Amino acid sequence: MTGAVEALGRFLGRSAESTGYGLVLLGKTMLTIPHLLNRRRMRDCLNLMFTYSVGSFTVTAVVALFTGMILALNGGDSLASLGQENLIGRIVAISMIREMGPFMTALILTASLGSGIAAEIGTMKVSEEIDALEIMSISPIKFLVLPRLVALTLVTPVMTIIAAFIGILGASIVAANNFGVTWIAFSNDALENLKLGDVHIGLIKSVVFGVTIATVGATQGLLTRGGATGVGEAARRAVVISFLLVIILGYYLSWLYLS
Amino acid sequence: MIRLDNVTKTLSGRKILSELSLSVEEGETLVLLGRSGTGKSVTLRHIVGLMQPDHGKVEVLGKDVSSQNPSILTEVRKKVGYLFQDGALLNWLTVKENVALPLIETLGVSANEIEERVQRVLREVELDSHGDKFPGEISGGMRKRAGLARALVCDPQVVLHDEPTSGLDPISSSIINQLVNQLKSTGITQVLVTHDMNSAFEVADRIAMLHEGKIQALGTVDEIRNSKNPAVRQFLEGEVTGPLTHGTLDGGSDAAEDRNEVS
Ligand SMILES: Nc1ncnc2c1ncn2[C@@H]1O[C@H](COP(=O)(O)OP(=O)(O)O)[C@@H](O)[C@H]1O
Ligand SMILES: [Mg+2]
Repeated sequence: MTGAVEALGRFLGRSAESTGYGLVLLGKTMLTIPHLLNRRRMRDCLNLMFTYSVGSFTVTAVVALFTGMILALNGGDSLASLGQENLIGRIVAISMIREMGPFMTALILTASLGSGIAAEIGTMKVSEEIDALEIMSISPIKFLVLPRLVALTLVTPVMTIIAAFIGILGASIVAANNFGVTWIAFSNDALENLKLGDVHIGLIKSVVFGVTIATVGATQGLLTRGGATGVGEAARRAVVISFLLVIILGYYLSWLYLS
Repeated sequence: MIRLDNVTKTLSGRKILSELSLSVEEGETLVLLGRSGTGKSVTLRHIVGLMQPDHGKVEVLGKDVSSQNPSILTEVRKKVGYLFQDGALLNWLTVKENVALPLIETLGVSANEIEERVQRVLREVELDSHGDKFPGEISGGMRKRAGLARALVCDPQVVLHDEPTSGLDPISSSIINQLVNQLKSTGITQVLVTHDMNSAFEVADRIAMLHEGKIQALGTVDEIRNSKNPAVRQFLEGEVTGPLTHGTLDGGSDAAEDRNEVS
């Protein structure tokens, strides 16, 4: 019992530490944004955007396709029992663009890229590469965190748009095959009911999620201690914390949008 | 040149350095000996301001680095080269790019001059034919030498070496020792942390022995070699029992590991 209490205390202590550290890190990184004018930083950033997109495209596309199909299957089933299967387009489009697209993409990018950032920076931390940068008077924030934060913040909305698009495509196939809703009827219903605000909130969420995933990854990486096990722990913490933040922030952003 | 004055440092509740005082004169090569975990790396980290003392003062090149004043730190670090234990190279850059990094990122030096200086230091550490390889493609000894090349590329006045020969075969160790002696002949001030006795005797002007947070013995190579200090004798002879292991022998596997490294 006391063991559990102690563990909880330690967990809360570390959470408070890393929250504070993360917010300060985010602020400091923002201040280094003018360094993107530097050709080398810009090149790092573009390279990372390319790597991040290529590295996460396939899994995002497959997950998005099946998410759309699952939504259409379940939604269509309920709607068909009411004879309303023609509403399938709007339901899928709105939920993919407003909720599922950003959320699902964020989870995939957390698992693949956020954990990668934590492990990469964590490895550099334990092998004294971060210290070496400091001694050469090269700021690790400018040199490592800035390009990763910017790249991930730009890649997340792009992947989210792709995910939403592929998801809706998957849903339209199910709608046509299983419920006899034509492609034209599906897209008309979707487009007529979709508001610009839905697209906006989806994009805003994806940007917030991108910043969150990169910041949490970099924070856990920089706070890594204790060798190879520390690196594994940093990656694990980055995933868990990002998942929690994505779902909590996602809820509040939806709530703000709807109220 | 370098002065640690009554430096005390506690890490994770353990007092690692306890009122440690040590000074290194200009042009001198001082070897800091000690068992693993005694705080040798911690001492080096204080000299470049990667760690701050809880109490006491650290002065390098006449500047107070323990003050944590960023402009002083930048100024001092420009003149100090630091060789990390495993080289600390960035693994996505080639050897050449790693060595060029401090020039590219911090000094406004022309591309031609960068190329020239990088080639020069790579030749000095005998890596000029490996410049285009990545750190993962070369041996540990070569990585250390590449780390040394990076430390030298900005023409430092002070070079700090953290275990430059640990884990190396005798020939690679000799190459490193030669390099250290070569640097010494150019008047560079050096602090070298090691538990490799051969290396210590080969390069040192003076040897200091660290134990329990303090310098237990300090002297020239001959003075240390002939020292009657029981701690020094135990270290030199790799004895299992003695003042250095007093009370720590029952420390389980950790102690056993340390013994291996010392012997
Ligand atoms: N950043 C740190 N936080 C906590 N403990 C540390 C830190 N750095 C070193 N230590 C501890 O200080 C002691 C001395 O470390 P170090 O100077 O690396 O030993 P060595 O003499 O082998 O170089 C070790 O017990 C190590 O665990
Ligand atoms: Mg060490």
